[in-house]
Amino acid sequence: MPCIVALIVFGIMGIFSASQRALAKEAFDCVFRRVTFRPCNTGFQEKVKGKLLAKVLKHSSFLAKVLNKYYEVFSWIFFILMVGSTIWVFRGVYNFYVFGSCNGLNSSSFCAFDPSGANNKITAIGGNTSTCGITQKSEKTVTLKDVDLSSFPTKNIGSKDTVVFIGCYACDYSRKAYPDIQKLIQKKNANFIFAHFPVKGNITDTLADAGYCVYKDYPDKYWDFNSYLFSADKDYVLNKANLNKILGKFNFDLKKINDCVNNHETKTAVENQVKELNKTNIYGTPTIFINNKAFVGPKPYRVYRSAINKFIFF
Amino acid sequence: MIDTDKIRADFKILNIQESGMPNIYFDSACMSLKPNSVVEAMNEYYYRFPACTNRSPHKLGQKATKKVEEARKNIAKFINANSEKEIIFTRNATEGINLLANSFSFKKNDVVLITDKEHNSNLVPWLRLKEKVGIILKIIPGREDNTFDLEKFSEMVKGAKFVSVVHTSNLDGVTNPAKEIIEIAHKNNALVFLDCAQSIAHQKIDVQKLDVDFMAFSGHKMLGPTGTGVFYGKKKLLEELAPFMVGGDTVEYTTYEEYKMLEIPEKFEAGLQNYAGIIGLGEAVKYLSNFDFKEIAEHELKINKYLTEELSKFPQINIIGPLDPKLRSGIINFYIENTDMHKFAIMLDEMANISIRSGQHCVHSWFHSKKIYNSTRVSIYLYNTMEEAEVFINSLTKILKIF
Repeated sequence: MPCIVALIVFGIMGIFSASQRALAKEAFDCVFRRVTFRPCNTGFQEKVKGKLLAKVLKHSSFLAKVLNKYYEVFSWIFFILMVGSTIWVFRGVYNFYVFGSCNGLNSSSFCAFDPSGANNKITAIGGNTSTCGITQKSEKTVTLKDVDLSSFPTKNIGSKDTVVFIGCYACDYSRKAYPDIQKLIQKKNANFIFAHFPVKGNITDTLADAGYCVYKDYPDKYWDFNSYLFSADKDYVLNKANLNKILGKFNFDLKKINDCVNNHETKTAVENQVKELNKTNIYGTPTIFINNKAFVGPKPYRVYRSAINKFIFF
Repeated sequence: MIDTDKIRADFKILNIQESGMPNIYFDSACMSLKPNSVVEAMNEYYYRFPACTNRSPHKLGQKATKKVEEARKNIAKFINANSEKEIIFTRNATEGINLLANSFSFKKNDVVLITDKEHNSNLVPWLRLKEKVGIILKIIPGREDNTFDLEKFSEMVKGAKFVSVVHTSNLDGVTNPAKEIIEIAHKNNALVFLDCAQSIAHQKIDVQKLDVDFMAFSGHKMLGPTGTGVFYGKKKLLEELAPFMVGGDTVEYTTYEEYKMLEIPEKFEAGLQNYAGIIGLGEAVKYLSNFDFKEIAEHELKINKYLTEELSKFPQINIIGPLDPKLRSGIINFYIENTDMHKFAIMLDEMANISIRSGQHCVHSWFHSKKIYNSTRVSIYLYNTMEEAEVFINSLTKILKIF
């Protein structure tokens, strides 16, 4: 058993060091002899054991005695730990590829949302949610079950894949993820549902109302308008004084849209939409559902691609 | 009484610390350390006259020739050879034995005697002759304590053509009674080869007094450089040997049809030789000549006695050979039943920079016959001290406590 452990350890270290490579070769010879039912006569095991015992003996005679007595047991323990840690490493690499983080989902930055509306804020870069006073929840609890999305802007109806994007124009993370999702929609021609979730109040609430009205009155131009709000300069977009200029840019009837925005029914409809979104247990934006699999916070494009290609196994 | 402090100053490696600890070298039976003067003599050759000997007429060549021949003379004097022509340079003792085995006119059914604890170098050449020529190889069994059994030998030597025995064994340090062996062999018309690889550095060898026919030793065990050795033979016998390696430097002249060999020693020294090494070996002999071998033996015995007494306190330790340190020169070879001794050597090295040898010491045949897996060997020389021996015992005690 020590030979196998040594082969793996020195094999990995041998990638970087020639002296370790020689030891790996010796360990391989030893393992090869064992698997071909011959005794390991290279003295390799004794060499490794001797070196280890000497190092421990320099510090403690008792520990050296224990190590010597249970050398084979320790070897097994280290072997199991090594196999475990190797699996863990591969899992980390897999997670990094499919989720954009070695720890899997739920580890990147997002715009935290307090459903009470009193404490909406944005997490610090790097995902330290403790700074905003909100405990990060698990993505596993975020779901579309029993959520009615029929009132939200939708395109590519009838596609086999469905992508739901819940984001806020004021949220940098939503702004970051939006182009990637657009790219994915374009490539896969997936059914796309957009839901604006105002995380910062004031202007974002107004923009939610404006978006609702634009989709109601100009459904064909809505997607260009929406993309503009995510791609144009954030300060410009979030300045209430610029709203009419933006609406004018798309040749919308300003009076019609403004009347709609100020209409009580619109506010009720948008509030109902937000209530519906809260049923998802949303705790931050962007929250993206790809065929019902939830992703909170922006991820690398390959993560979205993996999800839509059903490359995520667990 | 030898002055170890003065001696140790001559060996650079003994004044260098590794990992904050001095080097404790107890592996001189395998390879002795080299005094600075030997290294300097070799460097001088490379720096000042790195030329061919004999064949080159220029001053550098003449200087190199002079130095090499000086070394030959010093070595002849060192072993009291009748003539420097009896000194043939080789790469080591092993080459000397091979030279003999392949140059002597052995015939089918010639009986060759060796002991039961020969180094592979004095076993394999004879096993090969047994295969190739059909000689009869007989093994002289040792006594219970691994000492030479003269009575048994006296019986076995009858009818033998050749006796090839180790002088001092690298296995246990026991010195065989060379004088008696040679006398008995000669009375029975057998020639004698003496393997002096281990003894040459520890006791005075007088080839004329011993009346030995052939003898070989290595330079690296007697403070000399690696890749150097000497094969000695009585002049008359050497002249009768047909060299098994011929070529450049071994012939007086050649035509396309014939060649004329040079006289001894040149006829055995084919090709360009290790001149730097030979000069270094000459310097080592010069260095050793400054000492009285009796004093070296006394120094080794003192340390060996201490080590033997201390090791005897551990019941699990078995010392190979006689318990009396007087009979074991500077060697203490020990083992523990059913234990691989490699780890002890490794641990001593790791813990205290102590260099000792572990394994079967090129005497596999003896270990196989005794069913002993391997052993660790401490070998002492003139530069070792009692303090070093104490560090060894303290470190070994610590190790043994965990097993």
